Amino acid sequence: MADAAIAPNQPGGRRQRGPLNSALTGYLLAGPALLAMIAIFVYPLGYSFVMSFFRWDLSAPSAPFIGLNNYKETLTSPLFQQSLRNQLVFTAATIAVEITAGMGVAVLINGKLRGLRAARTLLLIPPMIAPAVVGLNFRWLFNSQYGFIDALLADLHLSAIPWLSDPNWALVSIIIADVWQNTPLMVLLFLAGLQSLPQEPLEAAAVDGASTWQIFWNITLPLMRPVIVVALMLRVIDTFRTFDVVWLMTQGGPGGATSLVTVHAYLLAFQGVDFGHAAAVSYIALVISLVLLGVLYGLPWLRET
Amino acid sequence: MMAAVSDETADAASVAVLPTRWRPFPIGLAARYAVLLGTILLTIFPLVWLVITSLRIPADIFAVPVHVIPASITWRQYVNVFTQYNLAGYLWNTIVVSLVTVVLVTVLAVPCAYAMARFRLPFHRVIVSLLLIMRMIPVVALAIPLFAVFANLGLLDTLTSLVLAHTAAKLPVAVWLLIGFVQDVPKEIEESAAMDGAGTLRTLVQIVTPLIAPGLGASAVITFLFTWNDLLIALTLASSENAQTLPVGLTNFVSQYGVDWGAMSAAGVLMVLPTLIFVWFAQGLLVKGLVTGAVRG
Repeated sequence: MADAAIAPNQPGGRRQRGPLNSALTGYLLAGPALLAMIAIFVYPLGYSFVMSFFRWDLSAPSAPFIGLNNYKETLTSPLFQQSLRNQLVFTAATIAVEITAGMGVAVLINGKLRGLRAARTLLLIPPMIAPAVVGLNFRWLFNSQYGFIDALLADLHLSAIPWLSDPNWALVSIIIADVWQNTPLMVLLFLAGLQSLPQEPLEAAAVDGASTWQIFWNITLPLMRPVIVVALMLRVIDTFRTFDVVWLMTQGGPGGATSLVTVHAYLLAFQGVDFGHAAAVSYIALVISLVLLGVLYGLPWLRET
Repeated sequence: MMAAVSDETADAASVAVLPTRWRPFPIGLAARYAVLLGTILLTIFPLVWLVITSLRIPADIFAVPVHVIPASITWRQYVNVFTQYNLAGYLWNTIVVSLVTVVLVTVLAVPCAYAMARFRLPFHRVIVSLLLIMRMIPVVALAIPLFAVFANLGLLDTLTSLVLAHTAAKLPVAVWLLIGFVQDVPKEIEESAAMDGAGTLRTLVQIVTPLIAPGLGASAVITFLFTWNDLLIALTLASSENAQTLPVGLTNFVSQYGVDWGAMSAAGVLMVLPTLIFVWFAQGLLVKGLVTGAVRG
């Protein structure tokens, strides 16, 4: 990228660029988009960052400065701690399942299989449809009286599970919905990665008599490391943004059992009219996801790319 | 030139079906087909169930024990969502917001990506990291201050506020995606255009833009679908049917009328239809956009 940006101005370049043709023209071209992002993205975020140090209640006439109080109160609030615990469980569980299952399925269906092309089309559907519809649909599938899943369990002579009414099962339910929606994306990503792998090391290992598992663990997996890193980063970022599917399934209930950090921030702002705390929650969540990304990026196995 | 580009796209799409010389996982072929079949069934079953529910008569929806095959099929729910509920209004708002957002994002993102890829901009690195950080920020962190800002401007509950919010939220991804496509255009083409006397703007509009058509398509489809699907921004900024979109409409099915599962499923099916159309006709673009965006992100 740096190369492409610099090359046109190199002295040896065929084209001589005047002063107007470089930085100024560039900024004139990029200007409208940058201004739009600054006005509608950077400025509001800066505004809420500043306001997170005030008692920011839209119904009150003035907002007194209270320093770090919003942050202190947030970190000690049981509701926030509950949402953070839910968030960490949700992030860890969905990512573990989605990446493992995604890799397993991709490795097994990669190659010459009839119907693979059609399967790739179908796999694109869940990640692309509205999470709100996914939430509504799983809420119906998990319905305790008329839901398909409990009916299936009954047919298998298993006892019904209180999916959405029991706090622990409710968290499992939103994890299942997220896994259904996002595992296919992991499969597609890993399939693309597997198909761009160099064939020589795999063939050489096969010729040398390495077993399938040895090849997978010692060659395929290390070669896939960059793709796995990308998948991991994407999912960490996106699980910390998850809102829609939870809102349609449980609205964070029962008793806050499925309240992820974004749901908690939304409820604080738009049901509690407490924008200061809501802003503090969203910034703490952002910092935690950044720290998590940093930790993942620092893991020895992931770093050796 | 165009032929070369579309060939490249076709190649990218057909990589999927190229036979690999080394057999990736030499377990039994039957087992691999079983995994493929299981994956397909798990993927489509919830969607099939949504469609089945939308076609059931009410007595059938609330039948115990649950039976998979509907006793009889009715289109009544699809009529109801338009007659008993304001689905037409939600649909109109969603279409307007999504289309206007796509146009704005495209018009703003193309010159920006071109400048980022081809000009030596001061603060280049700052802008790049800003784009990445904007991609990471939870939407709720943006929605909270935008509510306050739009309240001050008197723009709450208008389609304008939704379009502005979505444009800002989708721009970073679109710019990021397009930078890569511009970089893939051979610089010689632009240089010869410049030697022929074409100015920067003309080079961008007449030479570069057609060459990055697949990228434009990918970014437009992704922007459209993510705007179409969004619940959180619309839930925050739209308080009435003036500006509420389909996903917000789904939440209204619950709170206002109890849960009308049949109508809600019909609305859900209608909401998913454009996605299915795009997946069917533009899957190459979508995969390219998602994978490129992901790999570069």
